[in-house]
Amino acid sequence: MSSHTDHHSRTGVVVIGGGSTGCGIARDLAMRGISVTLVERGNLTHGTTGRMHGLLHSGGRYAVADQESAKECIQETRVLDRIASHCVEMTGGLFAKLPADEEEYFQEKLQGCRDCNIPAEVLSGEEARELEPHLSPEVEKAIWVPDGAIDPFRLCVANAADADRHGGRIETHAPVTDLVVEDDAVVGVKVRHESGPGKRVHGKEGETEEIRADYVVNATGAWAGHVGEMAGLDIEVRPSKGVMTIMNVRQVDTVVNRCKPKGDADIVVPHETTCILGTTDEEVDDPDDYPEEQWEVDLMIDELSQLVPMLEDARTIRSYWGVRPLYEPPDTGTTDPTDISRQFFLLDHDERDDLGGMTSIVGGKFTTYRLMAEKISDHVCEQLGVSTRCETAEEALPGSEDFSVLRDYMDEFGLRSPIGKRSVQRLGSKADEVLKTGEPNPVICTCEAVTRAELRDAIGGSGTDLNAVRLRTRASMGNCQGGFCCHRMASELYPTHDESVVRESLDELYQERWKGQRHALWGEQLSQAMLNHALHATTMNRDRDPAKGSSAVEYADFDAGPGPAVDADGSTRATADGGVPDGGVSNESVTDESVSSGDGGDDAAGGTRGDQ
Amino acid sequence: MSKPESESEPTPDEYGTAQSESEFESDPVEAFDDAIDMDLRSGADDCYKCSTCDTSCPVAEVDDEFPGPKFQGPEQWRLKRGDDHDIDPSITDCSNCMRCDNACPSSVPLSQMHNTARGEYVEGLAPSLWNAEDAIADGEYREALSYLGDIPAELSIEFVRNRVLSNYGTMAGLGSKFPRLTNFVMSNRITKEVNDRLLGITGERDFPEFADQTFREWWRERGGPKVESADKRVAYFHGDYSNYNTPEVAKAMVRVYERFGYEIRVPTQRCSGTPMFANGMLRDARRAAEVNVTNLGDFIDRGYDVIASCTSCSMALRQEYPELFDFEETEKVSVHTYEALEYLRIHEDLEGELRDVKDVEFPDLAYHAPCHARNQGISTQAVELLSEAEGFEIEDVGDSCSGISGTYGWKTEKYDKSMQIGEDMFEHMRDAEGDTGLTECPTCAMQMGHGTGYEIRHPLEVLEAALVN
Repeated sequence: MSSHTDHHSRTGVVVIGGGSTGCGIARDLAMRGISVTLVERGNLTHGTTGRMHGLLHSGGRYAVADQESAKECIQETRVLDRIASHCVEMTGGLFAKLPADEEEYFQEKLQGCRDCNIPAEVLSGEEARELEPHLSPEVEKAIWVPDGAIDPFRLCVANAADADRHGGRIETHAPVTDLVVEDDAVVGVKVRHESGPGKRVHGKEGETEEIRADYVVNATGAWAGHVGEMAGLDIEVRPSKGVMTIMNVRQVDTVVNRCKPKGDADIVVPHETTCILGTTDEEVDDPDDYPEEQWEVDLMIDELSQLVPMLEDARTIRSYWGVRPLYEPPDTGTTDPTDISRQFFLLDHDERDDLGGMTSIVGGKFTTYRLMAEKISDHVCEQLGVSTRCETAEEALPGSEDFSVLRDYMDEFGLRSPIGKRSVQRLGSKADEVLKTGEPNPVICTCEAVTRAELRDAIGGSGTDLNAVRLRTRASMGNCQGGFCCHRMASELYPTHDESVVRESLDELYQERWKGQRHALWGEQLSQAMLNHALHATTMNRDRDPAKGSSAVEYADFDAGPGPAVDADGSTRATADGGVPDGGVSNESVTDESVSSGDGGDDAAGGTRGDQ
Repeated sequence: MSKPESESEPTPDEYGTAQSESEFESDPVEAFDDAIDMDLRSGADDCYKCSTCDTSCPVAEVDDEFPGPKFQGPEQWRLKRGDDHDIDPSITDCSNCMRCDNACPSSVPLSQMHNTARGEYVEGLAPSLWNAEDAIADGEYREALSYLGDIPAELSIEFVRNRVLSNYGTMAGLGSKFPRLTNFVMSNRITKEVNDRLLGITGERDFPEFADQTFREWWRERGGPKVESADKRVAYFHGDYSNYNTPEVAKAMVRVYERFGYEIRVPTQRCSGTPMFANGMLRDARRAAEVNVTNLGDFIDRGYDVIASCTSCSMALRQEYPELFDFEETEKVSVHTYEALEYLRIHEDLEGELRDVKDVEFPDLAYHAPCHARNQGISTQAVELLSEAEGFEIEDVGDSCSGISGTYGWKTEKYDKSMQIGEDMFEHMRDAEGDTGLTECPTCAMQMGHGTGYEIRHPLEVLEAALVN
């Protein structure tokens, strides 16, 4: 570790981790008037938050085994429906009973919901199928509960934006390289501002910064142990991986759970335009390095087809894995990760390890992120002697202030109704500000109905990080997985950013899109992937990238039109668009030089590239 | 062909006048849950976004405001959440030519998506109108007025116009009672102007003339079939147009089929539904389809196959019914239905019969394949058949859409686009050697005649002239 530090700064509280908890804490503290800096190693939601199934728990899932968690869930679901309405879709949920599932458990579930004040209603098989026609005819009955779906990206961005509005500082792509410890207390963190595609607009690229703080909160979830180690602390998180498989369309509009004790592959969550199948629960050693295996995906489809038979032949567009930040106090000795409580724990390292100035928050779950943030913010305020009350349960998040999706999309925004509706659902109360630009507003991502105006707004928030832009807007998250829009998204960065930055940002996004598709390469998605590849190979030369060649691309050659391009030394060369150069230079005599250099003689590819 | 099960007495309703009852009469449709409540989101699984459908769409080619079949179909469906009902109004700009179905390399059910979306759109737009109509049917006029009160005039006029166009059979049924008077009134300049201004039915086109005698009247007068057969039996679906306007096509079919020894029956029937699908009038289409499926189904059970002389009618029975409705016998009717020329080519040696025929009545032909023939795989049948025959010269005028697409080209606001779409075909016809136009589709024929002034014939008429004395 280099001892040299480029910059020094000071803040009240440093929050490490830009997931739901970290963003929630940053907002909470900022609203209480405390100066707060959030640092995140990737983009917001980079860790577990961005890799969950999007379920807003009514608490029904925990109503038998973990009633404490269940009660928190129903309480927080109601809060989020109020303060984060533009991130939430109240779909309702079903616990469906198949003949193989125990009647006794069904009754326990029903009683558990009632014990926890979770509204629950028993539906007959017919009633359940009336609500969800694709439910298996085998389903005997079901319990309806107020489950919902939530977009974790939008939620984190809204929390971060509100923290920012209250004077907080949000630093993404800024991994913590060390904790600064003085006199048995953590007094700050060292971060490195990462450079590279999609990152260079943040912070001061490639430089290090020491941020001194009155208090540090470690909200890194599954990575809490890694951060703890930097100060010699032993934090026993037990990361547990789970797979999620995304379907191309919504087979159901209600969350469908299998009514049996917690197990693998027992839930289908309608999420935006898709359904997400989940999940598994398997302990891993390293949250950054664990196997992603096809059998896990197959298990999702096989098991959940029993509940919704059409899943068996339906198209999946990708799969991803997330790591739960499970924790249990030392000496509890649970062996099966599914049995570990979903409760959260505040580890005050002063009390626990005699190291002041820092508390870690571990365990817990997404639905209760706000409550967790409130608890730890209370704790931090106590340490700092601040007595301001928490207001995060009452104040709506930016985007969720009063708004209605019932608008005349064509009259107001010039958008076709399904496009206008999706845009307004995503943007919430920001819709007018973002969409009414007075400029032409074409749809850039047609799968997810994302327009140029919405993309530009997201670029305003995320800079050249197109993956962050993707998460804010859902652009490139539909059935073509970016095959038809990655490059259109990237071209929105130009000319504000140079060609090389745009190209690298595009590559980064395109790569990321491939990553999840690797686990969906059969049937329709395989055809899609091959078409995407062929299109990108033939029009952007992706099968042989000229930009990675030894010499720079001569853009002037492509843009000079039918006349000859003039080199720096004054000599003329052939044009790439087939125009015959004048000035006495014959076409044949220069073909070798201009066409076969660099890109394998593929004239057509070169010409198109010049149009980028 | 299947074997007859019993002797072939006509069913009691065979001679019934199909359109004697008003089509606006409200049949009780209890469970209207098939087409409009259909969830076609999973159809979007087949779409790779390749846009081949968009490039084959004749409307998108001339109408920059039209977002195209990919948006109207898989994209719009995929963006739907459970109880969303906001269908974009641009769905009404689709002409339902169904070329996208044929173009899609991945079997996305495009026209099914378009038809259901259009039905949902019309249903959502005009619930008050439908309610008013139901109230009128029940004799609740005061209630009907209260429904009508809250509809903008513009909307209700468009609805009425589309309703009138898509229920052509009803209008034709009335008009053909006094064919000469109706023809006089409809060709009157003032009538045209009133239609154009008040209803939005273009005055640029000449309203099709009603025949002095409908096909069904002729058939009844003739005493039904002249040929009886135990194994060659067809039930004829004539549709409204060849009944009221071009009975010569229907008669040609009868004479040609009887020459080959077929026993023909003419079941009671209503409009195939094609214009209703194109205008989102799925309630009307369902009522008509139910009558057709029930009656045709009875004939199929007795060993008949169904033939249609109009390619859009056979298309409706074969593809649209099973895609949109769930009657007991829909599938059966679908698999037993053929286009009339297609059926003869399957079962008879037409090439052989025509080979040595000389001195035919229509020797030089310019053929246009209707879009709906394309989807049935029969867009080349007329050219294949007649180009082998010595007496004929036949030329295909190209694979463009004629542009009229049934009712589309009759709408004032669509007329210019319709003619723009047809321009390729007009030009190719003018360049073709033939001086007689040939097509299976009655509205394509209208457009061909309107755009070029040529005389247009149906392949059955050509066959009749060549093979029947």
